[in-house]
Amino acid sequence: MTVVVENDFIRLEGACAAEDAETLVSALQGAADPIVDVSRCLHLHGAVVQVLLAFRPSVRGMAEDIFLRDWVIPHLVAD
Amino acid sequence: MGAAPMDELLEQFLVEGPEQVQQASDALLALEDTPDDAGLIDQAFRAIHTLKGSVGLFDLPAMGQVLHVAEDLLGAWRDGRLPLSRPGVDALISATAQTERWLGALAATSGALPADAGEAAAHLVGRLRRFLGDDGPAASVGTTLPADTAWIEDLFRTRGLDPARHPTLTALRYAPDPGCYFRGEDPIALVRRVPGLVALRIGRAGDAVAPPDDVYDPYACDLVVEILSNAAPDAVRAPFRFMPDQIQVVAWSPPPAVLAAVAPPAPMIADTVGRTLRVDSGRIDALAELVDELVVTKNALSDLVAQMTGPAVGAATGGGEAAVRSLGDRQAALDRLVGRLHRTVMGIRLVPLLPLLRRFPRMVREMATALGKEVDLAVEGQDVQVDKGVVEGLFEPLTHLLRNAVDHGIELATERTAQGKPVRSRIVLRARREDDQVVIEVTDDGRGMDPARIRRAAAERGLMPARALDALPDDQVLDLVFRPGFSTAAAVTDLSGRGVGMDAMRAAVGRLGGSVGIDSTPGQGTTVRLVLPLNLVLARVMVVSVNGERYGIPMDGIVETTRVAGDHIRPIRAGRAFVLRDAVLPLLALADLLGLQSGTAAPSMPEGGDARRAVVVRVGGERVAVEVDAFIGRRDVVLRPMTGLLRAMPGLLGTTLLGDGQVLMVLDVPGLIDAIPGPSREAES
Repeated sequence: MTVVVENDFIRLEGACAAEDAETLVSALQGAADPIVDVSRCLHLHGAVVQVLLAFRPSVRGMAEDIFLRDWVIPHLVAD
Repeated sequence: MGAAPMDELLEQFLVEGPEQVQQASDALLALEDTPDDAGLIDQAFRAIHTLKGSVGLFDLPAMGQVLHVAEDLLGAWRDGRLPLSRPGVDALISATAQTERWLGALAATSGALPADAGEAAAHLVGRLRRFLGDDGPAASVGTTLPADTAWIEDLFRTRGLDPARHPTLTALRYAPDPGCYFRGEDPIALVRRVPGLVALRIGRAGDAVAPPDDVYDPYACDLVVEILSNAAPDAVRAPFRFMPDQIQVVAWSPPPAVLAAVAPPAPMIADTVGRTLRVDSGRIDALAELVDELVVTKNALSDLVAQMTGPAVGAATGGGEAAVRSLGDRQAALDRLVGRLHRTVMGIRLVPLLPLLRRFPRMVREMATALGKEVDLAVEGQDVQVDKGVVEGLFEPLTHLLRNAVDHGIELATERTAQGKPVRSRIVLRARREDDQVVIEVTDDGRGMDPARIRRAAAERGLMPARALDALPDDQVLDLVFRPGFSTAAAVTDLSGRGVGMDAMRAAVGRLGGSVGIDSTPGQGTTVRLVLPLNLVLARVMVVSVNGERYGIPMDGIVETTRVAGDHIRPIRAGRAFVLRDAVLPLLALADLLGLQSGTAAPSMPEGGDARRAVVVRVGGERVAVEVDAFIGRRDVVLRPMTGLLRAMPGLLGTTLLGDGQVLMVLDVPGLIDAIPGPSREAES
């Protein structure tokens, strides 16, 4: 389980695989003002990234993984 | 109209062009050793690319064509469309060499290529095209994508990238197909493996901004990934090798507009470390000239001080003493200032040997290739700094030495293998500083010089009687090669069979105030050693003529030059004198000082109105006028001290070679005057 949902607060942990995309979609759809925390994230599968781009929840935290932190997360936060 | 900016552009191009040629050829030469180094291909590509761009500003079609094909070939290698080949590198080296020659011609003719440029270009283009071979529509490969480079420029700009730091980038756009997740592909994982990331944009296809509805399918991939990387296209492309149809790769450079807008401040801020200044040599020369003038002014001032401390003035003006002291202080200050200025200027003139030395590897390569030899040139000591005059004067002699080494020193491959030597030979060009001298050595691992063979050749050419030759020790026999007309090459080759030899080389080094020596071990190689002054002991001399002969008088000893009307010259006992601004100066004839059969001795009291020319010099605390026949002009010369018996001759500072090859004797006038026996000296007192 790498998608942990607590009401509107969604935490992505470890390496998020393609399967997690579906879980994430339902969590996002079920939340009024979803917040996604990526600080314990080691990888985000393309499908997961795509979901975050589509739903544009608030994304928080600095990922442990440097590639994610520097190159991927900024796209999910800004723009 | 419009000519002026064009000239400026050309001037700029002639400064930068050779540097780019150098970069390209450095990279190409290095590629020979490490053909897998993508960075080197890239370096050569960029240099050629820049050159080509610059050439486009001028009407130089021949040069443009060659550079264009060279760029195509390098581009094909860089993008991995064609494998790099050694003959291809050779052809590119020829192209850069030709470009360098053309740049030289452009500089010499201020803007025109030689008449045979078109022919040479056609030849090179044909040669380079061969390597592009089956990559025939090479140009079109580069042009299939240009329509879609707007995103690159946009990404480059929005990420605030500095064109100066990223002159070329690899741009990759990756649009995974919608079903990719089902094949287990993870676009993000692939992007993670791209080397040299400079910018990354992850977006959704078609800029899908519409909020997803309830039936959003996260497994229909709609990602679009755009990447800028400073790695080579091959490296950037590597992670995507199983999905070539989903990517586009472009080698991209920021367009000039972007460059121009952002670049200018960059070099000024960025390069504060090890900043170098390109100084127009004309300015340095002007500065040096100024210093010389200053020296002369200072001399005149000292003279004034001496005059004012004289009894006559001191008595006449009561409060003169304080003025004299302050004048003296000023003079001392001026003295220090002049000294400092002089040292500064000499310092500016010191330049590193690097630009000179790095021209040679390619040259040696070309020479070796022409002779079917394999030679590596190692260059050491590029950081040694030498007077720019020395650097400029060294190109020819070093070229000659290297040519000799490649041509005569290095054996043919078969000969080398027979002797158990590696086929690839090695020449070392090494510069180092020793106290206030620079030592430059050219060492080869070739056949060495055979004293017996040199003796034989010298005997055949009648340079010396056979008996004298036999008596000559081996190390002195080697020096025979410096004799005019000596050449031991068995066969006349393209390279060095031109009859000018080591004697010309030694003369060229001599003009720089240096000397040449040889060490050689038969079978193991030869070392030729040039020893040069760190600073050219540049003396500014006034060239004068006496009895049709020219002599130099150092400028820093000259107070002024003057003309004296014949009827103003008065005989004083055995000598002559004249009044110059209220002071009586003894007038000595230079011809007499030199002990020449003087023209002035007989008509020592010429008809009135015949103006005599005289140089006023300081001797001890006094001024003395020295009569000459004519002033010829001022020259900067490299003074070579007298050697041997002549060293003991009074009145001679040294010799120097004039531009026409004639030896000019530089006189020590005070020394000459001191050497006059009794009677003439009375004129001074």
